[in-house]
Amino acid sequence: MRNGLREWVDGHITITVRGKRFERLLNMAVRDGIRIWNIRRVGLEVSRCDILIRDYFRLRPLLKETGCRSHVERRDGLPFWLLRLRRRSGLAIGAALFFIGLYMLSTFVWSVEVSGTKMIDPQRVIRAAAQIGIKEGAWKVKLKEPLLLQKELMSLLPETTWIGIEMSGTKVKLQVVEKDEPTLPLPTGPRHLVAKKRAVIHKILPEVGRSQVTNNQVVEKGQVLISGIIGNETRQQAVSARGKVQGEVWYVSNTSVPLNQTHYQLTGEKLQQQYLLVGPYAVQLWPFKKQFFALAESSEERFVPSYAGFTSPLGWKTVTQLETEPISKQMTVEEATELAKKFAREDILQKAGADAFIQDEKVLHVTSENGKVYVSIHFSVIEDIAVEQPLVGLPQAPANNGNP
Amino acid sequence: MKRWSRRLRQLAGGVLDLPQDVVLEVPRITMIGHLQMYIENHRGVLHFSEKELRLLLTNGQMIVSGEQLVIRAILPEEVLLEGRIGGVKFLETGPQGS
Repeated sequence: MRNGLREWVDGHITITVRGKRFERLLNMAVRDGIRIWNIRRVGLEVSRCDILIRDYFRLRPLLKETGCRSHVERRDGLPFWLLRLRRRSGLAIGAALFFIGLYMLSTFVWSVEVSGTKMIDPQRVIRAAAQIGIKEGAWKVKLKEPLLLQKELMSLLPETTWIGIEMSGTKVKLQVVEKDEPTLPLPTGPRHLVAKKRAVIHKILPEVGRSQVTNNQVVEKGQVLISGIIGNETRQQAVSARGKVQGEVWYVSNTSVPLNQTHYQLTGEKLQQQYLLVGPYAVQLWPFKKQFFALAESSEERFVPSYAGFTSPLGWKTVTQLETEPISKQMTVEEATELAKKFAREDILQKAGADAFIQDEKVLHVTSENGKVYVSIHFSVIEDIAVEQPLVGLPQAPANNGNP
Repeated sequence: MKRWSRRLRQLAGGVLDLPQDVVLEVPRITMIGHLQMYIENHRGVLHFSEKELRLLLTNGQMIVSGEQLVIRAILPEEVLLEGRIGGVKFLETGPQGS
């Protein structure tokens, strides 16, 4: 029946009508299709009602006919707003300028952000971006297509696989993906390979340099195995010796193992404690007992809700306690000897290096004393015995001699 | 002639089970509590004040009494009245009247 928006857009006024034949005026106006609303009696011969502006001019002849007089009380709606705005043109101009300014400012780049760099300095990326025009204060309209910019930026930074340029508002985000280049071996200077320790040569495989020893030869610590000096007496060159020398090394290991061994075993009994986490504090909720078992292994599980970097100050913690009990075991001397051998082997292999292996082992001596077994074992281990020794005070070999 | 048409209409209303306000020229009134009143099929305003609204009907008058009455909207055949409505009264002038 009524349309508030249309009334507002067209503009409406509140008038008071003074006259005896107000009802007649009302009937005539309604018959003519004039929209009148909010009609109320104010006094004996005074009424107030709302009417559209354009209908007001149609109402005037009817007012004359019925002998009523009208007086405008209040004006409302868009036309009156515009009138008021014209009167305060400064405000309107200011508002318009504000929006224009806001739009203008939003067409500039205000910040450049770099992410994803590992080896490259972010400042270098920013400098490279500034070279192709992406910098603070640049006008976005003048920048080229993001795809073109991306290509240019990647040609300026050859160590990147991909650079993503994303413009979100006044911020330019540069996402850098770096190339994973294989690490080049460090260039080595001229050197010998010498023996690390006293050994018997098991196998020698020189790659660069001259072999100075043969198989089954005893070498002392520091003896040259593969020489870095090649050529005869008249023409000599120093190279970076390379190769593999395996030698047989003897070790004697003394190990002791107690006969009475104790270890812990789970009994199957378990209990859970619930905690409420409030900030850095944990409040025990249920059950209230502190200690359940004499010996126990405990593990805890935390639940703290977090989203987008924000962590809730409230959380939940569950502590599970598993009861354990000690079990002691009495070993025989044979078992203890086996265990000692195992320990000794592990120990020797750790001492000998990465690709060493045990060629031969021999138990020399087993004594049982004071509840402990003492075992002494002899090992013959094949291991890498070569170690680099740089050559100093000799002419440097040409670089290509590293790979003959 | 007028009597015949009236009788015909009453008959049609009874036989075809049509709503009375469609067949007979009587107002249809919708009230929301005692706060709002929507009257259709009136024939003009006779008197309006804070305490009373008197409407002309096809045969007779209708008087709505109450307090702080306001006509929220008015169209040639519809009136939306608001305020504290106290009562509604009909004055019949008969078929020959007016």
